[in-house]
Amino acid sequence: MEKILITLNINDKPCEVMVYPNDTLLEVLRDELDLTGSKESCGEGVCGSCTVHMDNKPVRSCLTLAMEATGTKIKTVEGLASGDDLSDLQQSFIDHGAVQCGFCTPGMLMSADALLKDNPRPDEKTIRKALAGNICRCTGYAKIIEAVAHTDNPQDQCPDCKTGSKTKE
Amino acid sequence: MSDYTIVGKRMPRVDSRAKVMGKALFTADLKLPGMLVGKIKRSPYAHARILNIDTSKAEALPGVKSVVTGKDTKGVKWGVFAYTRDQQFIQIEKVRYIGDEVAGVAAIDEETALKALDLIDVEYEELPPVFDPMEAMTSQTELIHEDFANNINVHVNIDTGNVDENFEKAQYIREDTFVAPEESYFQAEPYAIVARFDHEDCLEIWCPNGGPHMKSKPLSNAFKIPLHKVKVRKIAIGGAFGGRSEICPVDYICSLLAKKTKKPVKIQFTREENTIATRQGHAMLTTHKTGVDKDGRVLARETTCYMDGGAYSSTGPIATSVPFLSMEQAYRMGSVRYNGYRIYTNKPIRGMIRTHGRGFACGLDTQLDMIADHLGIDPVEIRLRNSRQPGEYTSTKSYVDSCAMDETIHKAVEKSGFKKKWGKLPPFHGIGIGTNSVQTGFPMGIRGGSQSFIKFNEDGEATVMSGVVDNGQGNDNMLVQIAAEELGLLPEDIHLVSADTETTSSDPGSYSQVSTFVGGHAVKIAAQNCRAKLFEVASKILKVSPDKLAAENRLIFVKDDPEKSIPIKKVVRISLLNFNSVNAEGGYWPRVDMKREWVKNPYGQMCEAFSFGTTIVEVKVDPDTGQVEVLEATAAQDVGYAINPLVLEGQFEGALTMGGQGGMLTEYHEWKDGRCLNPTMLDYKLPLACDMPPKINNIIVESVDPKGPYGAKEAGMSIAMSAAQGYSAAVSNAIGVYMDSFPLTPDKILAAIKEKKAQEN
Repeated sequence: MEKILITLNINDKPCEVMVYPNDTLLEVLRDELDLTGSKESCGEGVCGSCTVHMDNKPVRSCLTLAMEATGTKIKTVEGLASGDDLSDLQQSFIDHGAVQCGFCTPGMLMSADALLKDNPRPDEKTIRKALAGNICRCTGYAKIIEAVAHTDNPQDQCPDCKTGSKTKE
Repeated sequence: MSDYTIVGKRMPRVDSRAKVMGKALFTADLKLPGMLVGKIKRSPYAHARILNIDTSKAEALPGVKSVVTGKDTKGVKWGVFAYTRDQQFIQIEKVRYIGDEVAGVAAIDEETALKALDLIDVEYEELPPVFDPMEAMTSQTELIHEDFANNINVHVNIDTGNVDENFEKAQYIREDTFVAPEESYFQAEPYAIVARFDHEDCLEIWCPNGGPHMKSKPLSNAFKIPLHKVKVRKIAIGGAFGGRSEICPVDYICSLLAKKTKKPVKIQFTREENTIATRQGHAMLTTHKTGVDKDGRVLARETTCYMDGGAYSSTGPIATSVPFLSMEQAYRMGSVRYNGYRIYTNKPIRGMIRTHGRGFACGLDTQLDMIADHLGIDPVEIRLRNSRQPGEYTSTKSYVDSCAMDETIHKAVEKSGFKKKWGKLPPFHGIGIGTNSVQTGFPMGIRGGSQSFIKFNEDGEATVMSGVVDNGQGNDNMLVQIAAEELGLLPEDIHLVSADTETTSSDPGSYSQVSTFVGGHAVKIAAQNCRAKLFEVASKILKVSPDKLAAENRLIFVKDDPEKSIPIKKVVRISLLNFNSVNAEGGYWPRVDMKREWVKNPYGQMCEAFSFGTTIVEVKVDPDTGQVEVLEATAAQDVGYAINPLVLEGQFEGALTMGGQGGMLTEYHEWKDGRCLNPTMLDYKLPLACDMPPKINNIIVESVDPKGPYGAKEAGMSIAMSAAQGYSAAVSNAIGVYMDSFPLTPDKILAAIKEKKAQEN
């Protein structure tokens, strides 16, 4: 099998990279492009740690071939912040204590970010459903769900919305 | 309750920014120049003699840089204790479980390494395997380890005396047996390790670990190099839950491959390897015999537990003791006899796990509920009549200083509305309570204490050095909070150097729930010592005695006249100009009974503090499907003092999820002939966001332990344990059957409902 040159659009930048036809997008992101924010936890599409956006939709990069990603817009966790400015969702994760070991966090953020783009103020049930494909072993999900729910909808009674640097309304 | 400025506050964690940006590096993310890929050849047999290993074909494969086997290990054996050294890093004579290490390969890429594994010819002679611990004890076939008769690896016997006499006095006696199979950690991060020998022949490794100093010592022993030549480096860790404390064969194999090839080597476990070839929780069969007086007070208890230990000792003596200790701490008993047997089988190795002994603890609590039922008292009352009280000694003679067990019960009962709901809920709707206690530390000899160094930089910021490791629970933030509080700085002024064996002093690691109590304490003392030096200098400038000074928000000021102040940065610079050092050290060693030993002498002070937890759970069971819906869970724990309530709540919620939601409803391993049938995330059912109860109530109870830093002690683990008990009690209550086989999966629930119906008809 020979490597082929492809161009991927990752975090709004064109990236030329040599890939084998059977390389997964996750392998290319991590091994070729040094974007190690996307994690491999199960390698079989169950845990969601490798979630990235392909044309604004969350996909599992461990089950996506790199070649399938040509001609699409890929966004990884590294593309959520603008430089040093975190997105509201990232800040909300920090403020609400939604990060423990942090291994599932990138995938969790990408699933949640896709949800919020469609529905900025989802109810709890919608959030639980949207995150059902992302396994977290540390948090019990409660603080993650709260972080997502309060990103665009801070609550006065939430002690952790007040500590945020970007409290809205 | 305090006038601390940084400690005790809801502070977002210092490590979370790098984590949300995808910048935090975990071991698998590391790339070193010239790095090779390592892979491990594992046994396909549960029990077999190795007759010959031929690596010539693998070695001849282009791209293969080294192949190692047991011949290269010099026969070094690993075991946590001198008397449990039973595991070679690479097996040379025989293999004892499916997955046992027989060879290691380093190659230029993964594909080549995997091809090389297939080219290693191992000739085996199969031996009769044994998978059931009860069978293993009477088996006439070849012993798994020849030095251990009847395949009994560890026997812990505890006897306080008067047990038989007290049974005579008992008004009511019950004997019940409870079982639970193995469970696994499923840390988000599969195990990985990078090893290299540097230009000074020092071994440098990066890997998830429950204590870097617990990795460096065995590696220094194995390679016969001084301890200072083993540098375990800090790296982000994707969870441990008790499963990453010890050294694993892969640590040695990866290091050996690095030594042979003179190149960095990385080994990344597959999810299946993480399940099979690290550690698992023990399967247990536990019989509790309990005698009570007419009021339900326990006069005598006899507990016998058989634990399936798998192929090697691991933390055997500790693992055989902890389920019992947790219960003897939680409950008073007039007298008790405990016999714990850890038995070798031809299955993967079992170690410590966050909910250690779910069948043991749930069994004991279920039996307590049965006794209460018989005596006509409610589950809360029987717990209050037997609950641990401050100022008492446990059955094995540990003094319990701070203890707010009753407060956790009362508060959880009130919050959950237990009294209003108990006995009044509709059919298949139930509520249950569980209570537990966990040790803050184990006796660990010379590694029982932690030491910290602090250096002030000339810009007024400080570098804190500590051996404490952060597995994801927030230990880094805890150290920063403590240092900032004591030094009068802001958290962002603290630079933490931790979990690195080259720069930090010995530390017990996080595995005995002791990071805050011991490691945090050491940082607190070091910071206080450092502050005292600054106050000495500042007192001359501000012209007041040092005891009149305080430090906060980067300033040193006069307590009674806060306008009189001087920036810390300035004091640091003046100190240096006046030939004064601005560094300090501090250490903390818990005063435990050094003569206490897990098997030989299981009596004496175990640790300085114990946590106490109560979890109440309300469930609805679908009688047609056996599915359990959790409506609400209330977790209350006496943590001593909440250094960071935000982090603490996360520990409660995570513990409840692992111990209760997963541990009591869905998580277990299935086996066929020693092969684990569900080692992956697809087959092993971990709780998901959509499975969780809509409401988790966290109740932090603070007994302010006199010895803990700010009064803090273990946090979170007695929630994991009591959640398992609360979940099981709630399901039993909902279906009206006391369950004795855990976890409570739909098949078991349906069978119990069916049997109950049959009996009623």
